Amino acid sequence: MYNGRTELKQVMSVLEVKNLNVSYGASSVLEGVSFSLDKGDALAVIGPNGSGKTTLFKAILGAMPYEGEIKIAPGARIGYVPQKLDLERDLPITVREFLLLRRQAKTAKTHSSEEALRLVGLKEEFLKKKLGELSSGEFQRVLIAFALIDRPELLLFDEPTASVDIAGQETVYELLNRLQKIEGLTLLLISHELSVVYRYANKVLCLNHAQICFGVPYEVLTPQELAKLYGGGTGKFYQHGGH
Amino acid sequence: MSDFFSLQILTAGGLIGAAAGLLGSFALLRRMALVGDALSHVALPGIALAIIFNVDPLLGAFAFLVLGTAGIWFIEHKTKLPVDTLVGIFFALALAIGAILASEEELLDALFGDITRLTQFEAIAAILISLFISFALILLSRKFTLTMISTDLARSTGLSPHRLEFVFLLIFALTVAVGIKFGGALLTGSLVVIPAATARNLTRSMNSYLTLSVILGFASAVLGIFISVLYGFAPGPTFVLISGAIFFLSVFFRR
Repeated sequence: MYNGRTELKQVMSVLEVKNLNVSYGASSVLEGVSFSLDKGDALAVIGPNGSGKTTLFKAILGAMPYEGEIKIAPGARIGYVPQKLDLERDLPITVREFLLLRRQAKTAKTHSSEEALRLVGLKEEFLKKKLGELSSGEFQRVLIAFALIDRPELLLFDEPTASVDIAGQETVYELLNRLQKIEGLTLLLISHELSVVYRYANKVLCLNHAQICFGVPYEVLTPQELAKLYGGGTGKFYQHGGH
Repeated sequence: MSDFFSLQILTAGGLIGAAAGLLGSFALLRRMALVGDALSHVALPGIALAIIFNVDPLLGAFAFLVLGTAGIWFIEHKTKLPVDTLVGIFFALALAIGAILASEEELLDALFGDITRLTQFEAIAAILISLFISFALILLSRKFTLTMISTDLARSTGLSPHRLEFVFLLIFALTVAVGIKFGGALLTGSLVVIPAATARNLTRSMNSYLTLSVILGFASAVLGIFISVLYGFAPGPTFVLISGAIFFLSVFFRR
């Protein structure tokens, strides 16, 4: 029976990372990172600036050479929302055209551009707007819509360091939380705010090059662990994203 | 020059302009404007060697361009040096080798090009190659656009940016090889940059941007050749003057 359970767990695992090591030249950025994500999980990755959070994402995307194992469930699609994208303001591309870039092959499973925008709470009129004309909050939503077009199983979300929420609308975390339910997403998010971790994540991974903790937020985020992670006073982090 | 032959030259010139314009619109998505200039210099030793060994200069140019592009691509990924540094070095090296290998008269020709002196074979080859370039770019346009905008986003959709960049550079090399008869080592870069830069000023969507680059490339090339034949100017510089003038006008109509 025990064997049966582990087997089942392996089938359900959307992402499994085992003993991951990444280095830039001689300096090591990630050391011995191991965790796994089951369908429907929301994992928050926290850690100080430069602790390897974005590097972890890049390794999962295959954008960076690594040692160890990264196993993604066969056939699972990944949506990726980068922290920022250095777009030139005058880039001649509309939101509609940008969203179409994601859809390499049109299948019945993919969302239309209109549906994708609706999912992130943007009106259809945005399709005609130029990408460079959007506010940072609108642009982030378009990036999420882009990631959702082909109904990914796993969404990697790199939170911007400054809040880009649109006044009077649901915050980006409320949005992700809603999407997670209706789209059945497994979430992997880099967060700079501890409040987010407690509210929206069922798992947390603390990184400071090495893995400091992994588990359920209320269990593993003890003051001692946080002190280890951020080096002393955690007050700064509680206030706002360590800035 | 017979009417049929001049029609061939005009077609070849127009299609080279269209293909280079289309290529340029992708290149300008990622500030690769000067790659064309650098590559056209890399072609120079190839042309000189081809003349010495009596092979078609187009072949010599292309062979050197492929070597140069592969060299730049390879060293870039091995050393992580910025492309423009590498391109700057390759460019000077190639120009120096070309200048030593070529005679003075050949050098002038290779530096500025002259499309009106294409042989019939060369004109037809240029037409076919330009059409091939345009189709390849259209076929891969979404993939190139996404890769140029963000390699990470491209990778998240399952594309291989590294490979796509190499394919793009190869198409770039082919475009420069075919454009070099028109603009020579010095001005071929302008075929790639100017029409696309103008189109970028005037358009808001990718679709109209690509279309206008093609139209501007084609029209400026045809007009350039026509005027140069009429007044006895060199066609390459005439193209640059015409498309440059349109670019400056377009600055006032930016959208």
